[in-house]
Amino acid sequence: MTSRSLRLDADRVFIAAIGLAIVVLLLVFVAWPMLIIVGKSLTTKTGFGLDNYWRVFGGRKFATVTWNSFAVSTTVTVITVALAFVYSYALTRSAMPFKGAFRFLATLPVFAPSLVQGIGLIFLFGRNGLINTTFDLEIKIYGFWGIVIANVLYSLPQAVLLISTALAVADARTYEAATVLGAGPVRKFFDITLPSVKFGLLAAAFLVFTIALTDFGNPMVIGADYTVLANDIYNQVSGQMNFQLGSVVAIVLLAPALLAFQIERIANKRQFALVADRSVPLAPKKSPLFDACMFVAATLIVLPIVAVIGMVVYASFVKGWPYNLTLTLDNYLNNTAQNGYEPLVNSVLVSLIAAVIGVVTTMAAAFVIRRDQGVVGRMVNGIGLLPAAVPGMVLGLAYIFAFNKATGPFSLIYDTLLMLALCNVFHYFSQGMLTASTSLRQISSSFDEASACLGGRVVDTLRLVTLPLVMPTLLAVGIFFFMRSMVTLSGIIFLVSPGTNLAAVTVMLLDDAGATTHAAAYSTLIMLVVIGSLVLLNLVLRLLGKDAPRAAI
Amino acid sequence: MSRIDVESLEKRFDEKAVVHDVSFSVPHGDLCVLLGPSGCGKSTTLRLIAGLEDPTGGQISIGGQDVTHLPAKDRRIAMVFQSYALFPHLSVADNILFGLQVRRVAKDEQTRRLAGVAALTGLTEYLGRKPGQLSGGQRQRVALARAIVSEQPVCLMDEPLSNLDAKLRNEMRLEIRALQQRLAMTMIYVTHDQIEAMTMADRIILMNDGGIEQAGSPSDLYERPASLFAARFIGAPPMNMFTAATRAGLPDGIIVGVRAEHVAIEPAFGRHDDHVVASIEYLGADAIVALRPLADPQGEHVFARVPGSRRPDSGERVTLAWLPHDEHRFDAATGLRIEGGTMTIAPKSVQKG
Repeated sequence: MTSRSLRLDADRVFIAAIGLAIVVLLLVFVAWPMLIIVGKSLTTKTGFGLDNYWRVFGGRKFATVTWNSFAVSTTVTVITVALAFVYSYALTRSAMPFKGAFRFLATLPVFAPSLVQGIGLIFLFGRNGLINTTFDLEIKIYGFWGIVIANVLYSLPQAVLLISTALAVADARTYEAATVLGAGPVRKFFDITLPSVKFGLLAAAFLVFTIALTDFGNPMVIGADYTVLANDIYNQVSGQMNFQLGSVVAIVLLAPALLAFQIERIANKRQFALVADRSVPLAPKKSPLFDACMFVAATLIVLPIVAVIGMVVYASFVKGWPYNLTLTLDNYLNNTAQNGYEPLVNSVLVSLIAAVIGVVTTMAAAFVIRRDQGVVGRMVNGIGLLPAAVPGMVLGLAYIFAFNKATGPFSLIYDTLLMLALCNVFHYFSQGMLTASTSLRQISSSFDEASACLGGRVVDTLRLVTLPLVMPTLLAVGIFFFMRSMVTLSGIIFLVSPGTNLAAVTVMLLDDAGATTHAAAYSTLIMLVVIGSLVLLNLVLRLLGKDAPRAAI
Repeated sequence: MSRIDVESLEKRFDEKAVVHDVSFSVPHGDLCVLLGPSGCGKSTTLRLIAGLEDPTGGQISIGGQDVTHLPAKDRRIAMVFQSYALFPHLSVADNILFGLQVRRVAKDEQTRRLAGVAALTGLTEYLGRKPGQLSGGQRQRVALARAIVSEQPVCLMDEPLSNLDAKLRNEMRLEIRALQQRLAMTMIYVTHDQIEAMTMADRIILMNDGGIEQAGSPSDLYERPASLFAARFIGAPPMNMFTAATRAGLPDGIIVGVRAEHVAIEPAFGRHDDHVVASIEYLGADAIVALRPLADPQGEHVFARVPGSRRPDSGERVTLAWLPHDEHRFDAATGLRIEGGTMTIAPKSVQKG
């Protein structure tokens, strides 16, 4: 390898420079804040020590809160993975009708802040909820089951995405071989289907666990006095201004999230290593009875999702919930309690900035990983995956400590929309980078080599070959950052101020203040913006579609 | 002039030498084939010459200039990839012109060359299409055109025909050879297909396990294989090998090889009914007869190539014979060819009756 490092042509310098720039960004916006938060949790009145930890661990409530968090997350995981498997199975292995609609409906929760599930559930099952008042029941949704149901609905789309991808890459030939050998459907299910997606299921389980563990919006809205770790951080920091104890709880939250993320990643890798090079895709055959069963099951699973979000949309047009159900546009026209629509405009701006910065940085990172197999590439890859394991609240809290200085270079951007956008970029950096990497990897390396043999510099290859080929991914990564930034609550909850308030926070504040119909209207607007941007992307892609890059071979 | 000289080339991946001690020269205008089984290091050698990999030792020069550590784009080479590596988003014309565009060749010059190359490769009516809309053979031609249009003196080809069907492969073989001679390109051509190597090459470099097994003209390799490996790799069916253990009368430590077309099968007579016909592969003009030793039913088959009309029947007992000068002798310990060794015991020669 000595001769490799000796060869310092312009192309290598170019790649290394980009790589180092990404590393510096990641160090400043991820590694450093995380170090600070660890330091903060160890800072006591008298110096350094574990005092804060003893105080938190010794607290009467701490054991209960931790137990609550794990009880909720485990329950959510079991229910979600089971439902997501059935739903994905229906999508990929049956010939049921309306698959497109089912696919779309199951993604709905992604388009809204997590607390929308909580709000919708309250409209349905709350004290003044539709079900309780109509049928004169006394269902108590607040607390454990409320959080569980809200989080199941919220995490289902992501589990369905993972599991249906795993199910979709099945090799039809193994099923044909089994049929020829005389295996029945039950045998095929247990001997082929389940083993082929076991790592996908495992990955989905840990992903859902992490989502449930770190979710902040739903417990806030529907948890009542059932406190989980994420709320505890918020209470410590925002309620009691106790930053040291807040950071201790944040680190308690970080540890399982880190572990779960690692397991998810290994499982995911194993899942996709199973995919054979040339498999024949499985096309589900029509089977009326089975298809009908799957159709009913999928409908039952998707119904609550649609109902909850539908309730929110419905309530946004209602005069006064639940006593005056007259339809009105008042909630949209006079939504002035929290600075009117300024937060929504802020959110769109933040999301646009995050999309641009996110695309540029994650594509650059993926490019470096692909082209530099040396130290720089490995460093970018290693540090770039770090943020995926950091819960949004922990990152946000770390940002306060790291950047909230009266002086210094960061005082210029602290408490600006740019800071919020940066927080979102680095909160979702890993997912963006992985998407970009996967897409780059699908471009055969022989394109790079062909370009080099034809006399192209790395810059030429990037401009003329790589960029046109990854354009669809570029847009997809951009929309990913835009969508996440529009709906995230946990990452930016500590960073917003009256001047830089965002839409998702406004929903929470409105709901907190009892202006539920206004909160519903605000949520609906967020969903509209997100879905609108998706529609726009699809139009753009369709326009490019004539030239849609298809692998030549 | 653009001769290629490779001197003591070495490439290690994680301490494992995939190419070692490889030295050869290709004179200007020659077509040199790197031949060998998969994993023998032939593709790596080509990629080292192209500049797509950095060698860990040795020297490469093109046209007398040392290019060992020059980036690919500065080596004045053209390359055709096994996968073709056509840019899927560019039209055929833009694919062909890619190299001229990044090298900023004047527009009218580009147009002139494109027209010439398109006519040469029969792509004129397809210039506006995308690679995805072409057949396998047409994509092959685009890859070829893209390499030719650069008018580089050296052209490297990495198994360019392996994705084509047999008929197309035969046609393209002839076309590539004709183009190479017409344009007087110096070409290095990697393949594992011995027929491609035999039919196209001025010179074949046979590689095995990262090193050169034998270098020479196709007839050198066929008629005077330098080692057991070369003898068995080239020729189908592979050369028959006999040792003292399998053939009475041979000295120890010597392996005798005889090609199938030199093995004559005679009707059994007396005690010489030493083989039985196990199976026959009828090819039309001739037939490959697989023979099993009578004494050892598990023993290795001996193959004989006979005229198709004079093939024996399955199960027939026969006796084998060949002319002494059709024998190849190898040292059993080193596997190397023994030149001009006198024969201690002559095998049965072909006799009438």
